[in-house]
Amino acid sequence: MAEFRMTGGCQCGAVRYALSEPPTGAHICHCRMCQKAFGSSFAPLAGVALTAFELTRGELSIFMSSDQAERGFCSRCGTPLTFHYVGRPRIAISIGSLDEPEKVAPGHQFGIEARLSWFATLPTLPGEKTTEEDDPRLAGNIAASNHQHPDHDTDAWPPG
Amino acid sequence: MSATAGLTGGCQCGAVRFRAGRLGRASICHCRMCQKQFGAFYGPFVTGFEVTWTRGQPKRFQSSNQAWRGFCADCGTPLTFEVPGREVELAIGAFDDPTVAAPVLQVNPNDKLAFVDGLPRLPTRQAGESPASDAFKATVVSYQHPDQDTAVWPEEGARHG
Repeated sequence: MAEFRMTGGCQCGAVRYALSEPPTGAHICHCRMCQKAFGSSFAPLAGVALTAFELTRGELSIFMSSDQAERGFCSRCGTPLTFHYVGRPRIAISIGSLDEPEKVAPGHQFGIEARLSWFATLPTLPGEKTTEEDDPRLAGNIAASNHQHPDHDTDAWPPG
Repeated sequence: MSATAGLTGGCQCGAVRFRAGRLGRASICHCRMCQKQFGAFYGPFVTGFEVTWTRGQPKRFQSSNQAWRGFCADCGTPLTFEVPGREVELAIGAFDDPTVAAPVLQVNPNDKLAFVDGLPRLPTRQAGESPASDAFKATVVSYQHPDQDTAVWPEEGARHG
């Protein structure tokens, strides 16, 4: 059987990681600390054993949001990447930083004491046209100059 | 209370703080670039008018030749989406009161992850259901900046990361 491998990293590609076991316990956490760390209404996280988490490029920058918790991010582009309780044998990764986030669907909601009132309405909101339809010039310029790391490992980055 | 009270916010550690005079449209953008900026499923942004940086400045990553994405270099919190010549878009979760900007629109819905619409229906865990977890949380002393402006931060003598 092929060895399990799932990869991910930050937006700019300075930090890349690989998981050697499937992440479990996928959830979204609505707590105010996760909201703030992610600049969003929740943090989407899933965990692996520390021994199954490997940095394959660059280093995590760490903000200790309390003495218990280390929040890892890329200091070059800011992408929130990891959450780790000090001394514990597991580490969580941000699901959106995975190359294939679709493969890790959350199963629970935590921190609901802070869940935002508008969170439940999001699926019912109207959808705008795609950027490609709405502003083809802008979409073309972005596609032609996209500095985001591709959703797979690369030998060298940035290219050239 | 003035009309702009509550239109403040900043990063998790408090090194970067902002104030907006007023807000425009709030939305969530499902595109892969917003997903990656936030390490999450979409970018929740609201248009900010008369935005001033009241402490520090975001560091910016140029995600294409059109756009810069701002964040705190000290703690990583995603803060902005910026296109020259347009008003700045501010990350809704970074506001001290994120209820001031309820999204009204989904942008780039074709890129939406399959499980996103089901998130509000996922099972939850209430306080009291996991005594061990509650006991642990009771020991946590947060170093997150409070949800209001502060004259001095970090507080004198406080340890932060």
